[in-house]
Amino acid sequence: MTEAELRELQHWMANELRRRHDLGKDPETRALAQRYFTGNDRLSPVEQLEIYREQFWLRHTSSLVEDFPGLGGLIGQNAWQRLVEEYLAEHPPASRSLRDLGDRLPEFVARCTWLEQHELCIDMARLEWTYIELFDAADAPALAPEKLASLPEAAWQTARIVLNPALRLLRVRYPVTDLRRALKAAHAPVPIPAPASAELVLYRSRDRVIGDEPVTPGAFALLTLLGAGTPLVEACERVVHSLPAEASYVEENVGAWFQHWAERGWVVDVEV
Amino acid sequence: MASADRPARLSRSRGPLCFDVPDLGIGVGLRIPHYAEVLETRPPVDFFEVISENFMVQGGKPLYHLDRVLESYRVVQHGVSLSIGAPAPPDMEYLARLKTLLRRVGSPWVSDHFCWCDAGGAHLHDLLPLPYTDSVVRLVAERARRIQDYLEVPFALENTSSYLTYTASGMPEWEFISEVAERADIALLFDVNNVYVSAYNHGFDPVEFIRNVPHDRIVQIHLAGHTNLGKYIIDTHSAPVIDPVWELYRQTIALTGPVSTLIEWDDEIPSLSRLLEEAARARAARDQVLSSPEGAAAGVPHPRSAP
Repeated sequence: MTEAELRELQHWMANELRRRHDLGKDPETRALAQRYFTGNDRLSPVEQLEIYREQFWLRHTSSLVEDFPGLGGLIGQNAWQRLVEEYLAEHPPASRSLRDLGDRLPEFVARCTWLEQHELCIDMARLEWTYIELFDAADAPALAPEKLASLPEAAWQTARIVLNPALRLLRVRYPVTDLRRALKAAHAPVPIPAPASAELVLYRSRDRVIGDEPVTPGAFALLTLLGAGTPLVEACERVVHSLPAEASYVEENVGAWFQHWAERGWVVDVEV
Repeated sequence: MASADRPARLSRSRGPLCFDVPDLGIGVGLRIPHYAEVLETRPPVDFFEVISENFMVQGGKPLYHLDRVLESYRVVQHGVSLSIGAPAPPDMEYLARLKTLLRRVGSPWVSDHFCWCDAGGAHLHDLLPLPYTDSVVRLVAERARRIQDYLEVPFALENTSSYLTYTASGMPEWEFISEVAERADIALLFDVNNVYVSAYNHGFDPVEFIRNVPHDRIVQIHLAGHTNLGKYIIDTHSAPVIDPVWELYRQTIALTGPVSTLIEWDDEIPSLSRLLEEAARARAARDQVLSSPEGAAAGVPHPRSAP
């Protein structure tokens, strides 16, 4: 067997193993399996290949179930099966780590308009993928109080706030964090909650527990700008400008917010 | 490459080991359900094995727990996604991250599998068997030698369980892995359960397999349970090691001498105490063989004749 023949065989196998239905029903696959595999006294060549195909689906379905328990619990077995099959058909696993398997599921769910409670499903998928990102996001040392104390007043005019790499901002239309907790604990159907928009900070705490905390629209907007690298003073001005109704509230609370964010570990550095 | 840069290999002469690696004793796989208990109770485990890919991350719990475990235990790294026989050559970015983790862990060797996992941009997350041909020997050996040189620690490849055999294969599996190991001058991770599973699935004699691999290249042994579905066995790592595999382990140890041995249990993971019972059984079997020549001569049943 030449290297070219080996590559041809492997590409063919990789395609066959991702097919959704029993390979034995396809005459062409049966014929090629006969050519490539020996079979034995208990299994035909195509049955040997079929073992790997079944394992492919078991493995990847299980991985997504584990990573998206809220979404799976929300949509039920039949819809979940369809969703996973269509997702893996459109997005074959490309990363060597199963951790990345669901990285495009939120955007895929957003296009699956056939899903009941579609907006809720989108929120749930985005939340659960964010949890995966936070689980092993980079660590960062806590903000040193002495660094803050040593900053000259003038430095704050251009200072940039460095947010914890294990922090994400998520705007949702449903109370998905509570719903996910309920679904994970439930032994009976969980009622679908009414819409309730919220701006959430999702973060990994210093003791490596993933938490969620709602914040005000002004705080959310400010954190978004800071996360994008906007200097603190400029970010505050832009928030006040874009949310005039909250201008005074933002101006009055930004100091307290900053203190709270630093205590939570959301702010890890100030760059001047 | 200067000799000082080469992996710590002693010589090609048949000693207890071709590679200057320690016998770490009996270990178990470090798995998430046991993290807290391991750190709280510091159980008497000789070493832990970690799946490299689970710790090739930026931060968070995986690396935190790994660092805490490293404070008290030796840890060896085992990979599952190198895909050494894939159409594309090994990914250097992956190997660089693996090497970074190696420096953190201080693993005395690093291992992966005789297999391929991906093709055409799709990663199958499976350990697919390779055809056992001369050209594939050359391909895998060339890649393995380069990897070992790059990683600068002994590199071991593990025999896999398989559920199919290729018409193109021109040699038995034991000859294939022996040829690659000798040609590349790499180590072997010898999975006794995989020998049993493949022997059952393909109808060969596991003892012939065990007797015909280069024992002096074996730096680690794996033991695990499996799921027998009648027509074939799946290597699930979801159950205790069965008695015929224990017998094959004794046979292996009699040929290799004291080699680090690990219990793998990756699905339906039991309590830590149950896992440690399995490790204790491995220790007893190993001690028995190493202390008693008579124990080494224990008969090994063929998988097809096992109950």
